[in-house]
Amino acid sequence: MISKDEIRHLGWLSRLELTDSELDRYASQIDEIIRYFDKLDTISLTGSEPARSIKKVSELRNDNIHVFEGDPLEFSKNRKDGFVKGPRMV
Amino acid sequence: MPNHLYHLTADEVASGIKNRDFSAQEYISQILERIEKVDVKINAFIAVDKQGAVEKACSIDKRIRDGDRTGGLSGVAVGIKDNICTKDLKTTCASKMLEGFIPPYDATVIKKLKESDAIIVGKLNLDEFAMGSTTEFSRYGPTRNPWNINYVAGGSSGGSAASVAALECAISLGSDTGGSVRCPASFCSVVGLKPTYGCVSRSGLISYSNSLEQIGSVGKTVSDVVMIMNAIAGTDENDQTTKTTRPIATATTPNTVSLDRIPKYGLHQNKRNIRVGLVKELVEGADPAVSKCIYSAVDLFEGSDCNCEDTSMKSIQYALASYYTIAMAEASSNLARYDNIRYGFDSSPEGYEWNTYFAKVRNNFGEEAKRRIIIGSYVLSAGYYGKYYLKAQKAREMIKQEIKSLFEKYDVLIAPTMPILPFKLGEKINDPLKMYQIDIDTVVANLAGVPAISIPVGFSNCLPVGLQIMANEMEEQTLFDVASTFERIVDIHRSPEI
Repeated sequence: MISKDEIRHLGWLSRLELTDSELDRYASQIDEIIRYFDKLDTISLTGSEPARSIKKVSELRNDNIHVFEGDPLEFSKNRKDGFVKGPRMV
Repeated sequence: MPNHLYHLTADEVASGIKNRDFSAQEYISQILERIEKVDVKINAFIAVDKQGAVEKACSIDKRIRDGDRTGGLSGVAVGIKDNICTKDLKTTCASKMLEGFIPPYDATVIKKLKESDAIIVGKLNLDEFAMGSTTEFSRYGPTRNPWNINYVAGGSSGGSAASVAALECAISLGSDTGGSVRCPASFCSVVGLKPTYGCVSRSGLISYSNSLEQIGSVGKTVSDVVMIMNAIAGTDENDQTTKTTRPIATATTPNTVSLDRIPKYGLHQNKRNIRVGLVKELVEGADPAVSKCIYSAVDLFEGSDCNCEDTSMKSIQYALASYYTIAMAEASSNLARYDNIRYGFDSSPEGYEWNTYFAKVRNNFGEEAKRRIIIGSYVLSAGYYGKYYLKAQKAREMIKQEIKSLFEKYDVLIAPTMPILPFKLGEKINDPLKMYQIDIDTVVANLAGVPAISIPVGFSNCLPVGLQIMANEMEEQTLFDVASTFERIVDIHRSPEI
């Protein structure tokens, strides 16, 4: 059973400030969804390999610099002296 | 000049404009009038670019008058799902978190459409960040089904399918992570394609679940979808997951984009002796009204020298749990980047501590996006990774292997696109698990990376039913051949009255 506290903790890990009503709703809905996912647990960990990308590093393009035309931050609201302002770190 | 140019298919529009039967300006003004008239009821568009569309139409007309060559989609009105970046045209993902975002670049598919002289008429509605199956999770309100506006249009590319069905544009682009093009195509009675993973560049598609999603196309006919694919398919150095599709793109300049391209995909409507496997788990699991339509279509198909037999896919029992585990895990990682600093709604970070600010602003994701972020974080967390995510990837490999062995026996696999008929707006919105379960028929193609198309095969209670056809990896041509053969035999095209 997934508790409200677990949802609150997952919300914090994901940087989501959830309201009390969201916590109640998500706890019951997500519990039901995760119980549905439990059918995956019947698959043996030995046996088949997990799916993964088959692309080789040698097939990737060279990591060359391309100059971007225009200003990608043109529409930022919080700018000062050519920088973007964010919240304080501490 | 025909009275209602908006009824025309992409091929009819391009040839009509090139042959000067009508001008691009005449066509586009009818399209814009049509949008103005019907979109108040359908809500397929988030934004309409009237000025850009008229300017492009004028430029195409001038080039044709001057005797210059124009592209394969000359003048064709195309709508773009609003999670695909369009330079200087706002791209919202139907989310508050992208408010004010105007991309400084075009997605690769947009560049290619522009090079083919398609006219982008606007940006289309979707579930927020393409997460949903009904387009009800859009910040801009739900898209309504043109066949009955009290019913859902499907999703997440609801705007893409509804706009084509409502004759607001000839063709459109969507994205398909677990059925997001095919589901609304089925619900709105249009054709919707999810290509092979890697067949079309995802550069400029705002990511939801990178290992599953592909940009797909919607049209009134299979021919429309073929024309779009001829414009947008191919490798791209900005998307390292793209694969070589066919060896030569143009006559004179191999592997480059040119206005004078040789059609890469064609249409062969009279294929014989096609080996068709009907996936019995998906037909038997469907609403009887849906399976009845599918069986009727199969009967018609069998009457035209095609061999159809029941087949079974045992790994399908894990498909939905595997799909949602992987999709949500990738979603939680992809959506971690949205911090409301470089773009987003107006909320000053002044005076806030870093984590507190992010937690506050990120709560402006919608209901479904937040649910998926939380579940994604759960299945990736240290104690549960082996129990869910790793097992989901194992299930995915089992599904891939089983699909591969089925395609040794069959040219195509068929099933209903959706297990149920379109339902009323609001009917499932408070029951997320029930909503997820309607994706059971479509997620298999995404997990296996194979192409799949939905074509209209009938109606039940005046609501559309779609047939899904899947082919082996990179076998889009086989898919088009079979789909157009079905399309010719079933022949049910009609337009809704709005």
